[in-house]
This record gives sequence, structure tokens and C-alpha cells, in this order.
Amino acid sequence: MTYQTKTISGVAVVSAFAAALSIVAFAAPAAAEDEQEKCYGVAKAGENDCAAGPGTTCAGTSKIDYQGNSWKLVPKGSCETMELPDGRNGSPTALERDRPPA
Amino acid sequence: MDNEAAFARALLDAEAAVPEWIEGRDGGGAERRFSVYRNNVYASLVDVLAGRFPVSAKLVGDVFFRAMARIYVAKTPPDSAVLLRYGGGFADFVAGFPPATPVPYLADVMRLEWAWHGAYHSADAEPLPQEALAAFGPRAERLALTLHPSLRLVRSDYPVVTIWELAARDGEDEPVRLPAEGEDALVLRPALEVEVRRLPEGGAVFIQALQDGATLPEAAARASSSSPTFDLVASLAGLMRSGAIVGMGESA
Amino acid sequence: MAASVSFGTSPVPPRGGVGLKPEHYRTILDSAPDVGWFEIHAENYMGEGGPPHAYLAAIRARYPLSLHGVGLSIGGAGPLDKAHLSRLRALADRYEPALFSEHLAWSSHGSVYLNDLLPLPYTDETLTCVCDHIDEVHDAMARPMLLENPSTYVAYAETTMSEVEFLRAVVHRTGCGLLLDVNNVFVQAANHGFDPFDYLDAFPAEHVREIHLGGHAEDEDAGGAPLLIDDHGREVADPVWTLYAEALKKTGPIPTLIEWDNDVPAWEGLFAEAKRADAAIAAFRKSEMRP
Repeated sequence: MTYQTKTISGVAVVSAFAAALSIVAFAAPAAAEDEQEKCYGVAKAGENDCAAGPGTTCAGTSKIDYQGNSWKLVPKGSCETMELPDGRNGSPTALERDRPPA
Repeated sequence: MDNEAAFARALLDAEAAVPEWIEGRDGGGAERRFSVYRNNVYASLVDVLAGRFPVSAKLVGDVFFRAMARIYVAKTPPDSAVLLRYGGGFADFVAGFPPATPVPYLADVMRLEWAWHGAYHSADAEPLPQEALAAFGPRAERLALTLHPSLRLVRSDYPVVTIWELAARDGEDEPVRLPAEGEDALVLRPALEVEVRRLPEGGAVFIQALQDGATLPEAAARASSSSPTFDLVASLAGLMRSGAIVGMGESA
Repeated sequence: MAASVSFGTSPVPPRGGVGLKPEHYRTILDSAPDVGWFEIHAENYMGEGGPPHAYLAAIRARYPLSLHGVGLSIGGAGPLDKAHLSRLRALADRYEPALFSEHLAWSSHGSVYLNDLLPLPYTDETLTCVCDHIDEVHDAMARPMLLENPSTYVAYAETTMSEVEFLRAVVHRTGCGLLLDVNNVFVQAANHGFDPFDYLDAFPAEHVREIHLGGHAEDEDAGGAPLLIDDHGREVADPVWTLYAEALKKTGPIPTLIEWDNDVPAWEGLFAEAKRADAAIAAFRKSEMRP
């Protein structure tokens, strides 16, 4: 693939820069933002810990080998409600179709 | 202490026998007791990944996501005690994971979530105020921009931002037909809130060029070459408004 | 945002403190609860910036802080991770914690981080290794560290000394202090079949600078013997409070942390536990004043 590399003149960039600035300057400023009062989204999970997790004597024991026939799980979440333009979504039928030949 | 190697091996491989020198109470058997450790290693690391990729987990469901994460953990356990760094290779793993193929956009949604995580924990920097930007204006043709350290680009053949927004919503999921076009995402944390935006045509090429140190005319030329509809004014205004520019200087 | 400020020395008081969780950042800053101090897991603040550091700096400006590492693998056979030590040092220099502690456990093998506090055999060989590691930590951190007694679920056939003997020897050789986790004593006693009060009696209380209290889950092993899991997922159990009252008699009033890391409750739940520790310390002081 080859691209015809365009060149952009310095004058064009200077005027684009000025135009962009004026757009930003005239845009209504966001409602008075006081950072101290804002409730930021705080990521809670995924932390280092010094405790054993809940239910550790039974969680996670089964070894699942997805290359064998033992992998029976299919995506079952909000992907089921999202249809791609080609008509696919994350449904079990799609899995059958996409499964590589044995 | 070669014990450690054997202990670690038995921890990670559920099929490996518990070393015979590991004892339970009063010298008794330790299989079930050892499984506390074995399970905690996996359960805790799967929890880390589920917390790091919450939207992806919603997309495919918790059961599927956790089973997939468990396989990733076994294949690629953390190489640092800083778990904030764990999970960077998970999206690539998922891209090649056959059971996930019915959800072909999953890996890109995970790349977006990883970018979000990276932006959240990145170094802080003050965006340049408008006056500073204005002062540089007349020299724009020679300028290279320093972009915010939190800035990340995610380019996708799928409408990754739309999917991410839809899946992050709580409540009843109405069936929805996704747009055909791919989307490029700009992830940025100008202050303390991570923001995700869709980029217009050519925007990602423009920003990538700036990140690579190109001057404004060079970056604009690259973007125009890749997308005939590239709008330099809109892309510059987007960078200015989002607080993505933290420094400017004339290129050497 | 990343402005460097000096917090100065603010000693951790002999009161109840709370393990800092992100879900409580806002409540703590908004309501300024009367809690003695906070403790953080060091590794969670090893990102470069962002909300974790912004909140920690704001909370540190108002409360004394203790730094608790979970990933140094002091009980590991291999060398300590020097990069990790430098990160710890940088964090300590930035936030000036009055206490710094780590675990008698290992968590890394080779280049793999296992994310659990794993047990080690107590032998002359491991003692030497642990002491060398603590000497190295002291050099790198330029501040004393406290070593925490562990909860374990299995034992090693090759172990030749008791946990308390091992800890005594470490303190004697390295000069480190101790963090007495009373819940761990209780868990350890149940899991390995000894009397927790005997363990406390033998513990070198004069070197204890901090106490941990946390919740545990009850399970049983394959032989039907009790198996307690140190899950920090609930309130501190009543018999652990009883053991704590006994520990206070030996250590005197001392900073006491409430650990609650899984199924983390609303702030009020943790605050109530910290108040209960305050009350236990007050009751101890009162009993001391009786003739």
C-alpha cells in the first residue's frame, strides 16, 4: 500500500491553529469545576492484598482445558444483545460456526 | 531451598501432586490445606483481571470471563509484585482464544479498558492553559507538541467506543445493531477523571504522529494522506479542549 | 497534583487504625472521622500518579500513616527484587510513614509473582536467609521494619524450630521490630493445634510496635480438623478480641490496625471496629490504674 504523502503549508497550519483556538475559546466553559468537590471515578478492584480471597478452598480448583472437549462455556453477557452488521453476535450458534474443525 | 521451586510448581499446576514434605496438622495429609494456596493464587489473580476489565467481563458474562482469565493466569502469571502492571497481554491472548471468536470485538474492548487503566495510573501533568496555547499560535508551523502522559490511542475495526459505552450501561439491555464502521478512541486523564472520546477520521494518525515527535505540519500531512477527510482544525480543537497538550516547543 | 510536600513526622498513635480502601477515600475526606491512623498496602500506590496518589496525599495530610508491603517476598529463597525495594523506598520518602512492615512469607519464585503469602520452613538455613533479607531492607529503606507473624495452612516436615523461636532469632540478629497479627495467632493455633495464649506468652512482646486485627473464615481440612482462613472478609471474631486484650497486657497500648480487604463494608463498618479497638485500649489503661 502506498500513500501519496500530502504536504501541508506552514501558513495553513498557523491559520488552523488560530481557528482551533477560537473554537475552544468560544465554547461554553464547563460548569464551574471545583476539583475538591468532584467525585472522581475511583477504580476499586485489582489490588494487591495480604488476605486469602473468599471461598478459597473451593474456588478455582477445576482445571479447564479449552483445547479439549471440556470447554463448554459460551460468551453469555451483554454481547448477546449486540448484533454486528454481518448478523453475528456472541450466541452459542455463532460458537458452533466459528469453532475450528476438530 | 529447592522446596520453593517444587511448592511453586504445585501451586500453579492443579494436576501436580502436593510435595510429600508438606504436612497438615500433626504431620497429616495436606491436599485440601494446600488447595487453599492453590486456589487463592488463581482466584486472586482472576479477581484482579475481572476488576481490570469490567466491561469485557459484562460482555461475555462472568463465568466465561473468569474461566478464560484462569487460563491466561496459568499461561502468563504476573512477573511483578506490582499487580497494577498485570494484564497487559490479556487482550492479545483473547484475540487468539478460539472460544472467544463469537465476540470478535472483545480483544479491542479489552485494549480500551487496558488504556483506561493505564491512563488512570499514569503520571500527572497540567494541560497548557489557553493563553499559553495562544502565545505559541504564530509559530505553529514549527511546533512539536508534548502530549499528556496519560494519553492513549486505541484503534479498532469495530465500533469499540460504542460497544464499550453500551456494555458499561447498567440495566436492561435492548437489542442493538452495531454500526459497521470501526472507531478510534482517545483515552486521556487531564486531571483526575479518565475520559474516552471517539476520534474523527485521521485523528488517530495525527495524534500518533505528534506522539512520535512530528511537527504540526508533518503530523497534519500524515493524517491527510491516510484520510482525505481529515479536518486539522477540528482535531487541533479537540486536543486543546480535552487538555491533551501539556507542552510545546519548536522542533530541533 | 504531584507537588512534593513534606508531611513531617507524625507518629502513629496507640489507637485503632484502619486499612485504607479506595471505596472509602471520599467518605474519609468529607467526614474527617476520628480514627487514629491509616495503613496502606504499598504495592497499590506504585503507579505513577492519578487518583490513588491524589487521595493518599490528601488523607496523609490529615492522618498518620503506616506502610505495609505485601510483595517483597522476604521469606523467599532467591535474592530480593532491588527494583521493588527502590519503589518502596521512594514511596516511603514521599509519604513519610511512621511505621513500615512486611511479612514473614514468600510470594515470588524466580520471575513469577504468586500473589499470596506463602509459608516457609523454620530452619537454620531459612533463618539466615530471612535475616540477610531484612538487613538488606534496613539498608535500602533507611528505617526500621516490622516483621509480621503469618497465617499458614500447611507445615513443613523439615521445620526444626517453632515460629516464635524463629521470630525471636530474627529480631535478635537484625534488630527489626515485630508486627503482631493477633488474628494470625488465632488462625495458626487452630490450624496447627496449639494454644494461642501459649504462643502469646512466648512472643517477644517488648519488640512489638504494631498489632493487626482482621476477620477469618471457618472451614475444615480433609480430616475434619478446623481450618481457619485469614480472609479479612468480615468482623474480627470475638475470641480474637479476647486474645487481643491479653496481648495488650504484654505489649501495652499500641497502634492497632483493623484489616478488612474482602467484601469491604461501608465506612461505618470499619470505623466501628476501630472504635472497638480504641475501647479495648481504654479498658486496658483503666485496668492499669487500678491498685
